[in-house]
Amino acid sequence: MSRGYARRVGARGGAARATWSMAAAAWCGLAAWGAAAQPAPPKPASAPVPSREAEEFFEAKVRPLLAANCASCHGAAQQLGGLRLDSRAALLKGGTRGPAVVAGDPARSLLVQAVHHDGALKMPPAGPLKPEEVAILSEWVKRGAPWPERGPGFGVQGSGSATSGPNAQRPKPNDDHWAFRPVRRPPVPAVKDRAWVKSPIDAFVLTKLEAKGLKPAPPADRRTLIRRATFDLTGLPPTAEEIEEFERDTSPDAFAKVVDRLLASPRYGERWGRYWLDVARYADTKGYVFQEERRYPYAYTYRDYVIRAFNEDLPYDQFLVQQIAADQLPLGDDKRPLAAMGFLTLGRRFLNNEPDIIDDRIDVVMRGMQGLTVTCARCHDHKFDPIPQKDYYSLYGVFASSVEPSQLPLISQPARTEAYVAFETQLKHLEADAQHFLDTKRDEVLARAKAKIADSLMAVREQSQPGAGPRAIAQKHDLPFGLIRRWKTFLDGTEKGYHPVFGPWHAFAALPDAEFRARAPELAKAIAANADPQRHANPRVAQAFGGEAPASLQDVADRYAKLLSTGAGDDQLEHALDSIGGPLDISADQLPQLFNRAERERLQALRMKVQAFQATSPAAPPRAMVLVDAPQPVAPHVFLRGNPRNVGDEVPRQFLALIAGSNRKPFQRGSGRLELARAIASTDNPLTARVMVNRVWLHHFGAGIVRTPGDFGARSEAPTHPELLDWLASELTAPGASGEGRAEERKNGGAEESVRTAPASTLPLIRSSTRSDPYGCAWKLKALHRLIMLSSTYQQASMGDARGPQVDPENRLVWKMNRQRLDLEALRDSLLFASGQLDPEMGGPSVELTKEPFPHRRTVYGFIDRQNLQGLFRTFDFATPDTTSPQRFTTTVPQQALFMMNSPFVIEQARHLASRATGPTPEERVRQLYRLSLERAPTADEIELGVRFVKSAGEKPAVAVSQPPSNGPQPLTPWEKYAQALLMSNEFAFAD
Amino acid sequence: MMRRDHQPRIEDLLLTRREMLHRCGMGMGAVALANLMAGVGLTAPAEAAPSAGGLHGPLAPRQPLFPGKAKRVIHLFMNGGPSHVDTFDPKPVLARFAGQPMAKPNLPTERKTGAAFPSPFKFQKYGQSGIEVSELFPNVAQHVDDMCIIRSMHADVPNHEPSLLLMNCGEARLIRPSFGSWVTYGLGTENQNLPGFIVMCPGGYPIQETQNWQSAFLPGVYQGTYIDSQHTDIEKLIEHIRNRSETLEAQRQQLDLLQALNERHCQRRGQDAALEARIQSYELAYRMQMDASDAFDVNREPQAIRDMYGPGVQARSILTARRLLERGVRFVQVWHGAGQPWDSHDDLEVNHRRLAKECDQAIGALLTDLKQRGMLEDTLVIWGGEFGRTPTVELPTPGANAGKINGRDHNHYGFTMWLAGGGVRGGYVHGATDETGFAAAEKPVHVHDLHATLLQLLGFDHTRFTYRYAGRDFRLTDVYGEVVKEILA
Repeated sequence: MSRGYARRVGARGGAARATWSMAAAAWCGLAAWGAAAQPAPPKPASAPVPSREAEEFFEAKVRPLLAANCASCHGAAQQLGGLRLDSRAALLKGGTRGPAVVAGDPARSLLVQAVHHDGALKMPPAGPLKPEEVAILSEWVKRGAPWPERGPGFGVQGSGSATSGPNAQRPKPNDDHWAFRPVRRPPVPAVKDRAWVKSPIDAFVLTKLEAKGLKPAPPADRRTLIRRATFDLTGLPPTAEEIEEFERDTSPDAFAKVVDRLLASPRYGERWGRYWLDVARYADTKGYVFQEERRYPYAYTYRDYVIRAFNEDLPYDQFLVQQIAADQLPLGDDKRPLAAMGFLTLGRRFLNNEPDIIDDRIDVVMRGMQGLTVTCARCHDHKFDPIPQKDYYSLYGVFASSVEPSQLPLISQPARTEAYVAFETQLKHLEADAQHFLDTKRDEVLARAKAKIADSLMAVREQSQPGAGPRAIAQKHDLPFGLIRRWKTFLDGTEKGYHPVFGPWHAFAALPDAEFRARAPELAKAIAANADPQRHANPRVAQAFGGEAPASLQDVADRYAKLLSTGAGDDQLEHALDSIGGPLDISADQLPQLFNRAERERLQALRMKVQAFQATSPAAPPRAMVLVDAPQPVAPHVFLRGNPRNVGDEVPRQFLALIAGSNRKPFQRGSGRLELARAIASTDNPLTARVMVNRVWLHHFGAGIVRTPGDFGARSEAPTHPELLDWLASELTAPGASGEGRAEERKNGGAEESVRTAPASTLPLIRSSTRSDPYGCAWKLKALHRLIMLSSTYQQASMGDARGPQVDPENRLVWKMNRQRLDLEALRDSLLFASGQLDPEMGGPSVELTKEPFPHRRTVYGFIDRQNLQGLFRTFDFATPDTTSPQRFTTTVPQQALFMMNSPFVIEQARHLASRATGPTPEERVRQLYRLSLERAPTADEIELGVRFVKSAGEKPAVAVSQPPSNGPQPLTPWEKYAQALLMSNEFAFAD
Repeated sequence: MMRRDHQPRIEDLLLTRREMLHRCGMGMGAVALANLMAGVGLTAPAEAAPSAGGLHGPLAPRQPLFPGKAKRVIHLFMNGGPSHVDTFDPKPVLARFAGQPMAKPNLPTERKTGAAFPSPFKFQKYGQSGIEVSELFPNVAQHVDDMCIIRSMHADVPNHEPSLLLMNCGEARLIRPSFGSWVTYGLGTENQNLPGFIVMCPGGYPIQETQNWQSAFLPGVYQGTYIDSQHTDIEKLIEHIRNRSETLEAQRQQLDLLQALNERHCQRRGQDAALEARIQSYELAYRMQMDASDAFDVNREPQAIRDMYGPGVQARSILTARRLLERGVRFVQVWHGAGQPWDSHDDLEVNHRRLAKECDQAIGALLTDLKQRGMLEDTLVIWGGEFGRTPTVELPTPGANAGKINGRDHNHYGFTMWLAGGGVRGGYVHGATDETGFAAAEKPVHVHDLHATLLQLLGFDHTRFTYRYAGRDFRLTDVYGEVVKEILA
């Protein structure tokens, strides 16, 4: 307890605002080990490869102990007594006293003897370990001191040395992991039931089924298939007419035509764009903010970009590049791709704490696009994947070198409509208010700073001394942080050589406080004499120390204050503070650094008005939430334990060694963002295509080939069909079957490309081909959809082999299609579709969906408040907008049913649906309602059920037990109740 | 009930139907619980706290890792930061230094503070244990012998937002699940007709808003259900709990039709737990409409009980909380009010007196009531804010405390929280602040330590209670926290 307390207070207490950015210094991996740590069977002493249990015991218990207590003297940096304790070999070899460990024999192991603190050798010198810690070491030695091969060293706990340098003794853990190997196009396996194989996908799936003696499910009937495909690609049901047309079409490519029609529909981008928005942790707000506008006025431009990219089938590699570095692409006149960068910028803002914002950006890029949990390496080397902490900061440097411009670029020149001109006028007016406040405050604020010269000097000095933290110092002197920071930067700059004005100050400040009185007179004398040409001071400054020697440093500061505030008739002194680089050489942008609380709040309120106006004005022209490179790229340093106040080695801006290899080159251009983007969007990148084909598979089948779609690292689940995954990945990147045409399209940059659908006849349905890559998608996702959907695997029924549930209850081998429940978007949109109310308008600012009167737009256009996510979204398992979301949960809770039963929105749709059934007889009306809501004809039994319900619901109950709310809306008519029941039904909510 | 399948199902193997019904204490709806999990794409928890066989479903009741004394939690959150030296941590020495600059540790807080500021409130001893409590909480003080007063709490920073998140989620800035979400994830809840984790705050959100009860990467069902307890109308308390135009009888008739349709749908598809789960969710929802209205209606309490809790919105919230706990809700958090009511930067005497008056009687009544019902022994009561306040007076800041010099600044270095019931050692003061009450001095208890201890009381080893997300296993206490054994009874 006491130690933990000391550590925390030492590390965190008494520090400034910046301090809480370091709380991230958590040894995240530890929790994992604790979870599974349990006694493992003893191993023979020579066991070279520890079992998983032994490894976890070591990582959870032993390595941290060694790191915390032994590393500083017996590690890579120092080897006192010739002893290192950072690998098994070193322990067995020992130091000058002999082996530190005799594997399997704690009693004879010096290490164990020493930590008991009861013999001649007592280690660690600071004091004995706790009994339970001694027991851990003893147990470990007894088990043969197993040390995982992949990780010598002390890991994070040691010190900076463990994470620094190429000789940091931390070979890559598990770099032979399947996902890090290059994608190779595997051969298509031979199967028995060749008739079933329509595409290589089927061969990969069938070979595993046959190995287990399972049969694939029979093909789904046409109605089921088109309903599935339509929900899959558009998030909406087909119409009854579309179903019938497909049922009538006997041509061999009937389904291919359906797929192509759906892919060409603008509804496709709204569906698949939304999946990507889950990855992009899309929201319309910043998360918790204290006093600023909480909406992102232009987040929607990113959403619209994504939808358009999917609809236009922008090749996925270009899609990725644009999202990371569209600002660095030659875009020509069409600036719309700039909006792609919302991917980086529309995350949570963490009260504007930069390290957290950058962490969020690294996470969305690396987990979203690469399936790598790189942010685990923020505080220490990744525990499971070969991602050293240095690589995290290499990426950190890329984003730290990128800034958001104060004025976001327009996506297109707005037309000068009346509304726009009015908007512009009002905006200028509001901006002028804020500017006016800044202008009028300038003199006052500078005068206040000038009155605090002595305090400023003293504050900077105190900061350099041990003791109070910056917050306490600022409070003591009643100075804004920003002003102290400016003074510090300035004074640091005057330390080189001998500054004529501040040279004497530095000389006095260098005297230790205790010796000041004794040594100041001599120093003052020398300064006043001003005889040393190497140390020539401004004559007025020299003069100031001519009389009585200063009694304290405060006295020196006071004399400086007097000189500098008046200038003393000396030009150099008069402008010492406000000439270029001086602490008071301050631009209008920087002025708020010197504001007091009241002024800051006032300015904030004025700026808030500007932001709120932009966020709410319908005439605000769309802007792109870009990043641009900072004028000077940042040379990143490792933050030890993730603490930005504890700076370690400098690292270059570059890509992960894991992917770029040991010969990687640092990024050359600016921040390096474009180079980063290209490294990700590369055919050679082993993860990019694998991660994306897995996402596409996941949304078609309800489960991925890799069932941890956001983590392809060592702790991921192995793919159920590794060869299929690689085959799909290699096809995604392979040039297309109609190779040149596609190459031509790609030259156009993709952004302008119009929706185009390959004629069905060119679809690669033929099994044998002389071309090496007849299925190549050239990074185009629509081709990938076709490839998947035209397979027998996709077209299976959702009920299959009777043995399936026993052999493979989770359907990992895909012996049938998974029945899927509509997600929030598909459910809400389908309700509007059935009621005939769906508003097909695309794009534009987000609309609040949960307030009456309810908008009838598609759900993808709904306003998402990540801070207080609306109940509807939470209830229906919406993707968390806080971080990238690889897959939604599917929960079934009564609140969902309450929504269907009671929400005014559903009731409104039920009324509309009922009003669409106008047939002359009850039977005819039932038929119409079935057609409109479930897209099929009812059975005779269902007609009878419906007619009977409507009849009895129209009768007054014999005894009225409860009363409907008297002030509520009109009760539903029997037909409306019936319509609502259809909308509530399972048939409506599931796709087979 | 539709049972067309001929094959034994996993959930049936774990628990017989009768057991299921018995455990749930209800009829048809219970069977659904067995199926709620079906089709649930929950990531398998790494260390399955919810591993006990039995009812499946994200909110089905579960056994913790080891038997915990506490079965449910009520957290009375005094948001804004109540002053410990004015409530549960007497510091007579302040009177001696009144108005004088105090030799205080060099510990910065949010704003500048000055001289020692003696408490304007009198303290006196209570109970067998003789623990001193200020005149602000005379009713609560009657229960000191059941309370464990932790006077050596400390946190990380003197600002509301990070401290609220630390207290609620164990992490000051990053997105992590709240304590209530963890508990509901680990234990489920006993009443499937009510949310398992309910948060009441009258008049709007506290600052940091719904993040205080976020489920973060845990499934959304574990997020706290927020209730604006200034309302009494059930429709404003739980979304869509009532149909605005239909009677329950009409709804029943409609549900009967719905289930007939669903049955036909199911028959064509063979056994599918996901379909059945959704069928049953309608039955649950139907019952919830009645049960929730009942639970939130304090007018159904006898007059004597209502009188015991007293008037006002605090009293109503706390009484409602007891009704919820009694009905099997796992975790209830009652906030004092929107924003940060206890944040007395100025006019502390007036404000603290008013705030304490708003809740003292009701909290005292809650403890009495729980005890009378035999619920105190397995209900964990937590009282406290996100931090305490300085023993020194806050100096005027432009734009802040209106130039008054009669309040206290934030203080995370030392503050008081108290626990009662649920296996907590009563009549016990744990730790101490320094002489003036500025910082925790003896047996300091960090918020992580508190969390570790609370989890222990609930039956969880905080180091083993984890959730796998984004490639690692997370826990409430991150890598910190030690169980404070002295607090356990």
